[in-house]
Amino acid sequence: MQARATSRISSPRWLSLGKGLILGSALIAFSVWTVIPFFWMIITAIKPNSEIYRETRLLPRHPTFQHFVELMTQTNFLTYLRNSVIVAIGTTIIAIVVGSLAAYALTRLTFRGRALLANATIVTYLMPPALLFIPLFQVAFQFHLTNKAVGLIPIYLIAAAPFSTWMAMAYFATIPKELEEAALVDGATRWQILWQVITPLALPAIAVIALFTFTQAWNEFLFALLLISSESQKTIPVGLAELIIGDVFQWGPLMAGALIASLIPTTIYLIAQRWIISGLLAGAVKQ
Amino acid sequence: MEHHPELSVSPPTQLHRAQRTFSLGARFLGRDWTIGWLFTTPLVVILLLLIAYPIFVGILLSFQYKLVGSEAHWAGLANYRRLLVGEDHAIFWQSVRVTFIYTGVAVVSKLLLGLGMALVLNERFPGRNIFRAFFFLPWAAPTVVVALTWRWLYDGTIHGFFNLLLTELFHRNYPVQFLANPRYALWAVILVVIWQGTPFYIMMLLAGLQAIPAELYEAAAIDGANAWHRFRAVTMPGLRSTITVTVLLSTIWTANSINFIYILTGGGPVNATMTFPMLAYQIGIGGSRQLGLAAAVSIIFLPAFLPIIYYLSRMMVSTSQES
Repeated sequence: MQARATSRISSPRWLSLGKGLILGSALIAFSVWTVIPFFWMIITAIKPNSEIYRETRLLPRHPTFQHFVELMTQTNFLTYLRNSVIVAIGTTIIAIVVGSLAAYALTRLTFRGRALLANATIVTYLMPPALLFIPLFQVAFQFHLTNKAVGLIPIYLIAAAPFSTWMAMAYFATIPKELEEAALVDGATRWQILWQVITPLALPAIAVIALFTFTQAWNEFLFALLLISSESQKTIPVGLAELIIGDVFQWGPLMAGALIASLIPTTIYLIAQRWIISGLLAGAVKQ
Repeated sequence: MEHHPELSVSPPTQLHRAQRTFSLGARFLGRDWTIGWLFTTPLVVILLLLIAYPIFVGILLSFQYKLVGSEAHWAGLANYRRLLVGEDHAIFWQSVRVTFIYTGVAVVSKLLLGLGMALVLNERFPGRNIFRAFFFLPWAAPTVVVALTWRWLYDGTIHGFFNLLLTELFHRNYPVQFLANPRYALWAVILVVIWQGTPFYIMMLLAGLQAIPAELYEAAAIDGANAWHRFRAVTMPGLRSTITVTVLLSTIWTANSINFIYILTGGGPVNATMTFPMLAYQIGIGGSRQLGLAAAVSIIFLPAFLPIIYYLSRMMVSTSQES
């Protein structure tokens, strides 16, 4: 006993030096790897063109905001920004309403078709959009959803509605049934229970669903590329990607735009990190 | 005290009375069928119109000659024959090969890197939360932004970041064509997928690690298990379901993502990065606009994902019911 106690005190201290070195170098290596693209994005955004294209220096000598000004005044970036905001907020609101209503019914009510619908929801959530984009391209024409930014909202609901339903189901299942049984006895309708009992309790889950749905819609590229061709209707991802297609590679304004486009989702994630991770787990694995 | 369980088993009497007056419909369609169907209608409409219907259209299209903007003609199995053995078989089988390498290498690398960093972040050290937040950033950044930034990092002139480094540090006098050389392009794209996807693994596995009870480690330490034994006997079994779910989700997402390839290489050079979604895009939208043939590409790949989707959905439904 004595021997083991001493060895447990002395050996970990020696080990912790080696362990500390391994941990430290892993952290440094992974930090460098993570930071390089962000570093290069920011550096390019504030370098004048002469330094981007004519010199071979890593760091800017004369930092400038000219690319941001150019982006705002000589491209349609502000239009893209407006469209992205409309599409992301629209998708988020509808996904939350559709998802909460369905999740309440699927976790709390008894009706025929419930199990089938719950299974269909999870399978759809897992269904990869690449398997659907060719037929959706045609279906979107039939439904007149092409070439307008708001037409993307129903398309984004394909992923957002099953996702929000699934997430809300996982959360609603944790709210004790006794609360609403008491309300039922008091004569409350299901509608009142949903709005006055469940919703206030589910606000944290709704916030997580909103953050996810918003960033997914904000970042989406493929369908925006397929369905939108007018400049006035493009969202940021497509608008940015097409700055590259022109004759000249506009890396300065492009990286300025990339920086602005990243700020919103990364800020959201940094602020709400804890909730998002618990949300990820609720949606995917049991804690 | 003993009456409590009974109370919770049988619902309050007023509910009983209400149930007795339920209509015939309720007996066949379930107690709450009106409100249940009302609440789920919006979801059902989305599932039917925007998912079931497009799947049906996709299957139909794959048996048709259909150019964008023209009449469809019945083609039987011609599209499938053309891809599997006919005039397009070379590019089709190339896309199968590329999809496998791309998905396999990316998923395995993300898992190993993610597991390693999750183990590191599971240790106690100052600034741990800052590192954790920072390592999360690539996953939060929009894929298009990530792809564009990497395209500029890989730029084939001496002004691109990697070529700048090579020139300055190693005095290379001609730039490397990371994305234009068929020998490097696929690996260059895979590296970007790993860069953006690893944080998801770190977060999932870290949460999985933190859910393993500390007593198990203490018990193993008392039994004299060394670090490797503890990893094999406690950590790995404890992480098994987290790893399965994470890897399967990530396999579906990686194989089907098109953004990185579209922006970095467009499937080239000489089809070196032609995964199947990129091929479907190229056939259906980008080049010849043959929607029927493009739909057949997706439909052929569908069976590969169905078992994964089925297994994952079983797993996710059962874990959510347990909790």
